[in-house]
Amino acid sequence: MERRRELVNFLPVLLLMLVGFASVYAARSEQINAGSLTYGLFFIGLFAGAHLLLRVAAPHADPYLLPLAALLSALGIMMIYRIDPGLAAAQTKWLMVGLGLFAAIVVFLRDYRKLDDYIYLLGALGVLLLALTIIFGSEINGARLWLRFGGLSIQPGEFSKVLITIFLAGYLNSKRELLSTTTWRFLGIPMPDLKHLLPLVTMWGLSFALLLLMNDLGTSLLFFGIFLAMTYVATGRLAYPMLGGILFTGGAILAYNIKYTVHTRVDIWLNPWTDAAGSGYQIVQSLFAIGDGGLFGTGLGKGYLLFQSGEPIIPALHTDFIFSAIAEELGLAGATALIILFMLLCYRGFKIAITSDDGFSKLLAVGLSAGLALQTFVILGGVMKLIPLTGITLPFVSYGGSSIVANYASLALLLLISHRTNAEQAS
Amino acid sequence: MNSSIRKLFFLMVLMFGGLVAVLAWWQVVQEQNLAENPHNTRKVFAQMRIERGLILDNVRGELATNRREGDLYYRVYPRGDLAAHLLGYSDPIYGRTGLERSWNDYLTGTADEVELLNALNTLTGKENRGADLKLTLDPGIQSTALSAMQDLGKRGAIVVLDVKTGAVLAMVSTPTYDPNLLEENWDQLNADADAPLLNRATQGLYTPGSSFKLITTAAALDTGTFQPDSKFKDDKGSIDIYGNTIRNWRDLPFGDHDLSEAFSQSINTTFAQVGDRLGQETLIRYMQAFGLYSKPPFELPADEIMASGRYQDGKLMSPEAAMDPVQVAWMAIGQENLQVTPLQMAMIAQAIANGGRMMKPYVVDSVADFDGTIIRQGQPRELAKPVSSGTADDLKDMMIKVVNEGTGSRLKTDKVQIAGKTGTAEVEGRGPNAWFVGFAPAEDPQVAIAVVVEDADSFGGISGPVALKTILAALGL
Repeated sequence: MERRRELVNFLPVLLLMLVGFASVYAARSEQINAGSLTYGLFFIGLFAGAHLLLRVAAPHADPYLLPLAALLSALGIMMIYRIDPGLAAAQTKWLMVGLGLFAAIVVFLRDYRKLDDYIYLLGALGVLLLALTIIFGSEINGARLWLRFGGLSIQPGEFSKVLITIFLAGYLNSKRELLSTTTWRFLGIPMPDLKHLLPLVTMWGLSFALLLLMNDLGTSLLFFGIFLAMTYVATGRLAYPMLGGILFTGGAILAYNIKYTVHTRVDIWLNPWTDAAGSGYQIVQSLFAIGDGGLFGTGLGKGYLLFQSGEPIIPALHTDFIFSAIAEELGLAGATALIILFMLLCYRGFKIAITSDDGFSKLLAVGLSAGLALQTFVILGGVMKLIPLTGITLPFVSYGGSSIVANYASLALLLLISHRTNAEQAS
Repeated sequence: MNSSIRKLFFLMVLMFGGLVAVLAWWQVVQEQNLAENPHNTRKVFAQMRIERGLILDNVRGELATNRREGDLYYRVYPRGDLAAHLLGYSDPIYGRTGLERSWNDYLTGTADEVELLNALNTLTGKENRGADLKLTLDPGIQSTALSAMQDLGKRGAIVVLDVKTGAVLAMVSTPTYDPNLLEENWDQLNADADAPLLNRATQGLYTPGSSFKLITTAAALDTGTFQPDSKFKDDKGSIDIYGNTIRNWRDLPFGDHDLSEAFSQSINTTFAQVGDRLGQETLIRYMQAFGLYSKPPFELPADEIMASGRYQDGKLMSPEAAMDPVQVAWMAIGQENLQVTPLQMAMIAQAIANGGRMMKPYVVDSVADFDGTIIRQGQPRELAKPVSSGTADDLKDMMIKVVNEGTGSRLKTDKVQIAGKTGTAEVEGRGPNAWFVGFAPAEDPQVAIAVVVEDADSFGGISGPVALKTILAALGL
């Protein structure tokens, strides 16, 4: 039943995908050759495979998640193809790896609740990945987010995000009773025993360390946001996110005052126009691109995204700034549709959390969905100058192996949770 | 847990809603502002497929043409740095400035009038391109003025106006730059402390110093408060105004004299008294009548023109801002936070030369479709009449005296009677700014001029020879 609905859901994805590739090709036929259109066909093949796998391995899984992710990926590949057909080939390969991991998780982690037994190991691995990045990472645009192995760069933060979410789901699930019992008050807010607060303080410390050592407000905000959301859901107490918010704001203000790179980023955010050709160039060009889109956009392939040389006008256009390209070519209508897709993705994730019947599954589903939503908010808010800009990918859409692979792993977990719940209800 | 999950989802929906709201803000509300931002080159790039109209000087010499590469047109400026600030540039990376920006719709043929003609041309099978601008700019006067400034090796500006029409005959700002080499030199041009990209003629804010006495005197005569022969006494070379001392240059005392002599010798003590007598309200009223406190209505982009007036912390103050009597006295001699542009001072000289009638300055003589059909013709237009013709005549006589007997003696020549007012404004930490504001020939004024030279090393007169050369060139002498 779910899989037949999924197949129907794939139809509009397929249609949009074909129309999209055709219009990019029509608009830029001078620059790109017809052979590269095969990426489109290859893409369809990959998702047909994923669909068939679910039919066998998780037939009751949510029927909307995979088509939504496919649509986002399709939009991403289409834009990347439009920016640089060569990168679309690489992205297609990463998509293969991502769906490979997706398949592996669906097949080998069908009883994902076993993860609950290894949460400390997974959490430690997540922290280790971040630590390695901080120690051995290379700096790009002042932020230390990348690990290099030969020609391959990975962004361990993307994987850490999933691992730490799993850890938090297990930890908070086992400690939620204790965290909900308050014994004292801090500034009038009822608080649990200090020893149970320790993970909160640790997590705050970790987020803050991320901010100071990786120079990245966005990643730090993302981790802390996931943590607060999960703590709130686990305890049902607003005091945690409130206190956390105060702590984080305090930390951010401190970082602004002591860290030059954080200071610069915030200043560029507050007024990019004073140095529009220098430090403010990227965000100012992003706003020009977005503004140029207007209500309905310039049309796919017709925006002013590249210089004559083929270099993108906005640096990091295919990764962090892919939304600016989409907003220019598809306009307010198309870009709003994209935001709605993310909201639907988030909605399905939260729905899975609500329907599932055990604490670990609920918390895991909430954590993974909130992570996707927050990451979307951080990068979209950044390229639109709503919050200070930070280098982070737009899930499923941006170019980038780590991001694609980690997000398809999240997707697989969400599907497994929904499969288990739905299968139990069906039987 | 489910109720918390629902609340959390509600928060997420709010966040996504916020994103859509911000997106709509940029794409709908701010769309126009973003498109018109001078840093935004997307429109420039798109319009590079259009063959831009030419920009021509007053004898149809080419100031801006095109070079074709593939299906794109690149701008070429055959006269290089001659009128770089006025023409501006049109560059796919750095955007547009100057007339290239303010007249872009005509130059690209996207203005309504041109589009209609282009549509007709398409019907009749003719090729489309942008409309040509013919300027009132005189290349001879312009190059004489530019070389005179460059020979000095100083920063500064010169504006020359046609007294009868307000047409701009020359507009120079130094240092200048070659717009053909903009991309190669961009970083250097921006890093240069002398700000070569700044159009000092319209954007340069300078303390007017004694050249401001033109306005003080105009107010004194026009209100009937003083006459050219009104008597003054100056025994000390300095004067105490409400406990504040205002001095003459080198504290020179001038003894018994009249207003006319005070003007030609630029006696500060006398003008401080005149200012005190006239009061803030009258002075400000005449400043506004001469166009201060508003941007001159000129054909450059609005953000390339500055208004003259009192400034505080880089912002134009309200004309109503309260002043104490000491400040009024200082203002009467051209100090007290006063900042003026060379264009504004040239307009004041033009008005006095033209019997009190200030003409709207303009530089675009005509706009013609590429087959020569005139689609827009520049018309001389009276902007204001700040003073009566009687006051203007009295002022003219006093300005002649400046050149013949006073501080402007360096402009005294057998070839033509020049009239004007000098000014030397102290600048903290650097040499003073030297002004000359005037017109010629005095008996039948043709050209009005304002010259300012920054960091003038010797006192007085450094702007005089530059003004003299320019005026002689303008009158063909």
